[in-house]
Amino acid sequence: MKAPLSWLREFVDVELTADRLAERLTLLGMEVRGIEEHGVDWQNVVVGELLTVERHPNADRLSLATVTIGTGEPLTIVCGATNIVPGQRVPVALPGAVLPGGRRIERTEKMGVLSNGMLCSGDELRLTGDGDGILILDSRSPLGAQLADLYGDVVFDIDVKPNRGDALSIIGLAREISAITGSPLRMPDVEIAEVGTPVADRLSVAVEDPALCPRFVGRWVSGLTVAPSPDAIQMRLLAAGVRPISNVVDASNYVMLELGKPIHTFDAAAIRGGHVAVRRARAGERLTTLDHVDRDLDQDTLLIADEHGPLAIAGVMGGAASEVSDATTEVVVESAIFDPISIRRTAFHYALRSEASLRFEKGQEFRLARVGADRTAQLLAAWAGGRIAPGRIDTSPDEPVPERVAFRPERVTRLLGLVLEPDAQVDLLARVGISAAPAPGPAAKVTIPVAGGTRPLSTTVPAIDALIATVPTWRRDIAVEADIIEEVARVSGYDRIPTTLPSTPSPAFRVSPLGLRDTVRSSLAGMGLHEIVTHALISRQHVETWTWTDPTIPADGEEPQAGAVISVTNPLSADHAFLRQELVGGLVSAIALNRRRGQDDLALFEIGKGYGRRADRAHEWWRLGVALAGSFDVAAWNRPRRAADLHDAKGILEALCSLLGFASPTYEQLSSERTLHPGRAARVRAKGPDGGLAVSGVLGEIHPSTAAAWDDRVGGAILLEVSVRGLSGGAPAVPRATSPRRFPTVERDLAIVATDGMTSAALAAVIRDHAGQLLLSVNVFDVYAGAPLADGERSLAFRLVFGAEERTLADDEVEAAIASIMAAIVTAGARVRT
Amino acid sequence: MNFADLARELDALRAGTIDAIAGAPDTAALQALEVDALGKKGALTAILRGIGGLPPEDRPRVGAVANTVRTAIESALAVRRTSLGDVELAARLARETVDVTLPGRPIRRGSLHPSIEAMTEIARIFEQFGFVVHESPEIEDDLTNFQMLNIPPDHPARDLWDTLYVDVPDRLLRTHTSPGQIRVMQAMKPPIRALLPGRCFRYESVDASHGFEFFQVEGLMVDEGTTLADLKGLLDQFAQAMFGSGKRTRFRPGYYPFTEPSVAFDVECLVCGGPGCPACGRSGWMTILGAGMVHPVVLQYGGLDPERYQGFAFGMGPERISMLKHGISDLRLFMENDVRFLESFR
Ligand SMILES: [Zn+2]
Repeated sequence: MKAPLSWLREFVDVELTADRLAERLTLLGMEVRGIEEHGVDWQNVVVGELLTVERHPNADRLSLATVTIGTGEPLTIVCGATNIVPGQRVPVALPGAVLPGGRRIERTEKMGVLSNGMLCSGDELRLTGDGDGILILDSRSPLGAQLADLYGDVVFDIDVKPNRGDALSIIGLAREISAITGSPLRMPDVEIAEVGTPVADRLSVAVEDPALCPRFVGRWVSGLTVAPSPDAIQMRLLAAGVRPISNVVDASNYVMLELGKPIHTFDAAAIRGGHVAVRRARAGERLTTLDHVDRDLDQDTLLIADEHGPLAIAGVMGGAASEVSDATTEVVVESAIFDPISIRRTAFHYALRSEASLRFEKGQEFRLARVGADRTAQLLAAWAGGRIAPGRIDTSPDEPVPERVAFRPERVTRLLGLVLEPDAQVDLLARVGISAAPAPGPAAKVTIPVAGGTRPLSTTVPAIDALIATVPTWRRDIAVEADIIEEVARVSGYDRIPTTLPSTPSPAFRVSPLGLRDTVRSSLAGMGLHEIVTHALISRQHVETWTWTDPTIPADGEEPQAGAVISVTNPLSADHAFLRQELVGGLVSAIALNRRRGQDDLALFEIGKGYGRRADRAHEWWRLGVALAGSFDVAAWNRPRRAADLHDAKGILEALCSLLGFASPTYEQLSSERTLHPGRAARVRAKGPDGGLAVSGVLGEIHPSTAAAWDDRVGGAILLEVSVRGLSGGAPAVPRATSPRRFPTVERDLAIVATDGMTSAALAAVIRDHAGQLLLSVNVFDVYAGAPLADGERSLAFRLVFGAEERTLADDEVEAAIASIMAAIVTAGARVRT
Repeated sequence: MNFADLARELDALRAGTIDAIAGAPDTAALQALEVDALGKKGALTAILRGIGGLPPEDRPRVGAVANTVRTAIESALAVRRTSLGDVELAARLARETVDVTLPGRPIRRGSLHPSIEAMTEIARIFEQFGFVVHESPEIEDDLTNFQMLNIPPDHPARDLWDTLYVDVPDRLLRTHTSPGQIRVMQAMKPPIRALLPGRCFRYESVDASHGFEFFQVEGLMVDEGTTLADLKGLLDQFAQAMFGSGKRTRFRPGYYPFTEPSVAFDVECLVCGGPGCPACGRSGWMTILGAGMVHPVVLQYGGLDPERYQGFAFGMGPERISMLKHGISDLRLFMENDVRFLESFR
């Protein structure tokens, strides 16, 4: 809400500086988001008086004016406007002046005459909407005075919270200032002279659905002359961010800003039959609204209608046919209360949310229906020469009594941690118009409203422990004890709340669900990977490209990838219309983005969720994704680039398993995952210390076709995605210590020639199965293919380590194990190289 | 052969060898000279083989001369060896000299994403105050995301949370971490000190300070005597821990349907420190989070009796905290994943 200081001052005295007032409003909960200073961009614009106005000797459409600014010789100024006559006071931009928008005024020759400056229109000063005529100033404006000193203003941009509809008005904000400063509020005088035929003889109104329109107040004003509003009014509206249109339209906007009461004026000539109904739309009804859109009306829409059909969508937008025009002489002023929820739904339905509907949505003070109608009629009389018909239509003239909310002063102290005596609380509440007093009469018990809304709760306490607050009718946000407590705190000032630390007991220890994730994150970062965060919301193309053909079996205790892809029913864009089920797509996209920007060597990871739907239930699962591209070694003058391959990803995974206390992972050829190279992909698994599944997932090189279709730049990228036990909320395993062996171990190397299709994992398994109890470890340390080996043959060199806990091994024990292994190797179809 | 002849030969050996030692080019030549002169098959041994032809009384005299020759050669060798060693060492050191100004062999260094890192840091700080971390679903229902938080359908405050809906019946993408308050209260008994970090979603166009996906951290503390003053004290401690001690903080009224009273919490502008600048909109303050005392309606939906229990909740955006702390001007950088940005956080 934009609130010009000059307008606020009409209702409350303000001594504070603008900055200080802004701070105090903010501290009272009316957050000032910005302060605009109007007029700071008028430099050297002063008040002048026209001495003569003559035709320009060389141009019919220009005038030649002489102007005095009180001192010095009169100035000759060339001017194109036609609304000036001698004796008027006008704004004069002197040579060197700067106008809004940075426009600089210089001494210039116009059609052979030297012009010593410029006479300004309201629009040129951004003061009024009039760009044709010169702004005619008040005849009492002092000659030579800087215009900024006379018409400059400060405009506060205030973030009024949704619960304070009453403060979406100059009056409402003036009330808050009054609470700050203690200066009394001056309400506008609404005095009306009524003449002619009473409104009751001209118009009748029937509200068919009182729940949707609890009150409808109408006024009839005739004899209007539609014209621009007085300059001062235009200035005020512009400062508040509303474009002036005409005196009749401006009057309703003015009342909306001043009182917070949206008003609609109908051209009375367009209302046929002298009867208006407030009713829901009927099947097939249509209305062309003010924005000249012909609309099908929904049957939930509340209408203002005459006997021929809809005139306006109640509270949301008027109809074009009954719009006030230059020819309008008579209007019906509608000042109604509508059901907030109905207005909100209707405004959303037609995508017609406006300043007016916003105020209706927040609920309106009942009394404002009457005050708003009268105030509008008064302004129409003053600005447009209107004659106000006696009386008003009022479908619910009884004003409701103020609400009473009982509260316990002791609770204020208990909740705030601030000791405030009941008397002090009463004084604070009085500053925002809430009067609090002991329960009247002999009441022994008082009912305290503790909670309202959809879970009401009340409690009964001895009257002596409670005060009864009488809440002003405009404060529709105060209904329960906690609301009163907030008012006490707010007016007292949050700076008075003491600063303490909780002295209540702490809750029991609980393992942080971030624990294992944190360990994984920091160790991967330590291995040189960058953590990234990608969107969970993705495109259809992303879903179709990256969703796994064969979902990973989750690690123990982790959620499985579940069911169908979830789509967003109201997506922001097609790029973000689905929820992801995997992490690799986002990682690959991050590689593409970085490569587009010239970063070639990338090692990235993300810990994030996949989402799916099964049997109308939503599922979420945690995964770790890794992507490598370009050189894995950081190239330098003393080290060449080395393209990342599968084995780098495995190294990362193996280190991670070791860090988390899991067994080393095992790999199994995987050729069926369509995004991965069929010859360069593996399913990976690792067991936990208890033998359960601790890591499960896939790794591989991106399929060349997938890369080509997604982004050429990502070819060769290495991808890994795994479910890790504890990722969804576990602590890292506690390692068991291993004592160093006291007895020496024995190493033996075996070079095994494997034929096509025989994997290192299979050979290692044969070795392990036949080595007996003494084998401590077996590792590949060399792989060789080529002469003298036959095509398709590979030599894999294994290092075997034997040992025993309590003794030194005898040679023959090791030899026996080797012999048994070699026999098994041969049986398996491989041979041992000697 | 007599004594004189032998003595002359020994003297010639001494003089010749010492001359040769003086002219030896390196320690290897020196070694060869030593072997030639003093070795088992060397010249000295050869000369002394003639000692048998001398009268017995001359033999000790020859021995004495031979010893002085040996001592003289050895000392010449030692002197020459030291000086040659110095030269050779110097040469070797010179040979081994490298350009120490060349850069080192780089170690691969990764980084931790600033959103997650800020969230983790927030959690660490509150864990010091006895808070425990919980998580709640990102795909929520309207009841928990809104209604139980005192935001009924068609409530004007719903404007604060434009929502993305999904094709799962009665589900939406949570717009904030606040529904976690309900889930924690339903699952735990007071004393409750819970911290709920996680991803949130809103129907919001992307600009320098808004995104449709972002993170939030919710805090909740409920017990019998938890006050607004406790909230103020705790948040003040948090601001000191996060932004540095001595930072001024400010409590002012805010608005959330699920807290009453509601609070906005500001810390002094990290750019100007208070006088006001463009970064803080001239106010000298930067808002870092919203908070308040848990609304009685919310406590009831959490299964707690508002007549017995009271407490506070707060919610903050780790990205905003990170932006303030690290001087990041555009929220979009967080999900763009340009490694040149990420490398700032190693
Ligand atoms: Zn600042």
